[in-house]
Amino acid sequence: MGIKLEQRHLFGILCVCLAASILADVLVKFHGQAEAQAHTAFLWQTIPGFSAIYGFVGCVLIIVVSKSLGHLWLQREEDYYEKH
Amino acid sequence: MIEWVHPGLIFILGALLIPVLKGRWKKVYLLLLPIAALIDLLYMSTSKGVFWSIPLLGYELVFGRVDQLSLVFGYVFTIAAFCMTLYALHVKEDGQHVSAFLYVGSTLGVVFAGDLFTLYLFWEVMAFSSLFLIWYRKTKTSSEAGFRYIMVHIFGGICLLAGIILHVQNTGSIAFDSFNWGMGWGYLPSYFIFLGFLINAAVPPLHAWLADAYPEATVTGAIFLTAFTTKSAIYVLIRGFSGVEILIWLGAIMAVYGVIYAVLENDIRRLLAYSIISQGGYMVAGIGIGTAMAIDGSIAHALCCVLYMALLFMGAGVVLEMTGRSKFTELGSLYKYKYMPLTLLLYMVGAFSISGFPLFSGFVSKTMVVESAALIHQPIVWLLLEGAAVGTFLVAGLKLPYLTWFGIREKDKDKEPFVESKTKAMKEPPKNMFVAMGITAFLCVFIGVYPQALYGILPYSVDYNPYAVSHIIAMSQLLLFTFVAFWLLRGMLRGTPTITLDTDWFYRVWGKKFIWFCEKPLISFADSIDEKVRRIADSFVWFSKNPPIASRIMMLTVSMVFLRPFNPNPLYTRYAHDLEELRKLYPAEVHRLAIGSGVLLVLMFFTLYLIIYLTYGVLWV
Repeated sequence: MGIKLEQRHLFGILCVCLAASILADVLVKFHGQAEAQAHTAFLWQTIPGFSAIYGFVGCVLIIVVSKSLGHLWLQREEDYYEKH
Repeated sequence: MIEWVHPGLIFILGALLIPVLKGRWKKVYLLLLPIAALIDLLYMSTSKGVFWSIPLLGYELVFGRVDQLSLVFGYVFTIAAFCMTLYALHVKEDGQHVSAFLYVGSTLGVVFAGDLFTLYLFWEVMAFSSLFLIWYRKTKTSSEAGFRYIMVHIFGGICLLAGIILHVQNTGSIAFDSFNWGMGWGYLPSYFIFLGFLINAAVPPLHAWLADAYPEATVTGAIFLTAFTTKSAIYVLIRGFSGVEILIWLGAIMAVYGVIYAVLENDIRRLLAYSIISQGGYMVAGIGIGTAMAIDGSIAHALCCVLYMALLFMGAGVVLEMTGRSKFTELGSLYKYKYMPLTLLLYMVGAFSISGFPLFSGFVSKTMVVESAALIHQPIVWLLLEGAAVGTFLVAGLKLPYLTWFGIREKDKDKEPFVESKTKAMKEPPKNMFVAMGITAFLCVFIGVYPQALYGILPYSVDYNPYAVSHIIAMSQLLLFTFVAFWLLRGMLRGTPTITLDTDWFYRVWGKKFIWFCEKPLISFADSIDEKVRRIADSFVWFSKNPPIASRIMMLTVSMVFLRPFNPNPLYTRYAHDLEELRKLYPAEVHRLAIGSGVLLVLMFFTLYLIIYLTYGVLWV
């Protein structure tokens, strides 16, 4: 491998990708208003960046809800079924 | 004139020859069978219709119902069988290959079955042949998991059979087509058949068998398991229950349910098993929606899922094979020591596919189902399915590879990860496993880059463009920002040495309690009844040893009971004394009558009887 990718390079690339995805969304939505409306069935799909927010919030929610369910209710030690 | 064979027969009869061949010829043979079946299918596709129909007891059995729907599933099953067989080529135990081929063959039997009896026959063969893929692991947990697996499937089979019998009674026909659906007792046959199908499709709450059994299977057997039972169940649901609305909600919940459990999982293959359930949710929801696009989407998703799920399990299987471990609490830092980087790469192809990255197969299939939910204006379903996509990427694309290859367990910070056999000196898996993964990965990317290959074979014509700019942007945002959230919260996802209770808790705990109930209370109750009857019989024997004295003992005992309230009583004490002596001496000498007295008694008795007999009817009636 020629180029050594350091962590800060990777971080930079990530930020660029994040920004690009939002920017592209904004551009597409505000340049092609009519065709954007045609594709969407739901109101929220017209908001630029909706999927970004949904992805982030959704991921956090899934982790938090799952972990809570696990700690409070569903998780047991590995030999639970042998002991009971 | 039919020039071709039922493809299932190629596998089933072909399986019989496997133990006969040896060495290299066996390996060639194993790979040739799926290829032969695929060629067979291609021949069959030239003329669709109903073939191999056999009359039986007044009904018409149909072994070969060939139409686009069954052909498509046939294609993916045979292609997948080829890759899976290649992956398993190094396995020396013939039984494993035979079971796998019987499993594939019977699945093809289910897919092409045109009537309910044939369907049921192959359904059961599928269950039993797949059982051995679990049992061949030969550990205590796998044999127990296998028992639970087959119990659940026997139950499902009985539901299916009950439904079929009722259905045939009601309609008089055994044809396998769309079932009537509605509310009410009249639809009972459909409900039973539905239940049987749902169990195989692993729809919650009937899904626990999948997460319980699949991680306990052999490394190579598990790959076969991922595809055939669940996806053939999707096929039969499409045939029989398209458009049944409850499936939409079952599917949406299923998709999220699998993800939630996967987040909590410690075992890599169990995490992937829950991902199978999650992916199945999309297909089930699509079947429920029932529009042409939704059904196409479900089928497309099933086809892609077979391939990427196999790839993911292949990757996890390699980790298990090479390190001997499958738990996050025991794995980590494989990458740091350059262990299996190429496996990681191929695994990530599968991970990107399941997550729906553009240019991979999942993107062109999953988004079709989600879009069809949008088209029928079901926002909650859409949100749930999109949410499940977030979760799928999180668990299969981020959590699993991160914790397996990059995460470092605190106590092992500077040690090399333990590898099962250092003499193998393998940093990558055996060639056959590697090539199998490569082929499967190639197919995943090929479909992603050229979706028309997939769309062209779907039953309904597809008017969907996955690579519309808005879709690409939406998916990219979803996945990128999921990654950000994962990275920030990655500490919370560390493996824990736990299991998560699922709906199998009910039959595992209550099942044990029921067995305990049968063994302890029920049997002691039965024993106590036995005991009491025995005591009564014993007391009769005791009485018969010396009836006069026994009667005296009994009379004394009764009198004592009545005299007890007046205790200081000379009569009572005398009786008690006598009683004690009699009991001690029992059975004492039996008082004998002289023979003459006995004979006299008998004569008197017969004289009395004679008198009664002679005077009956004359002096009295």
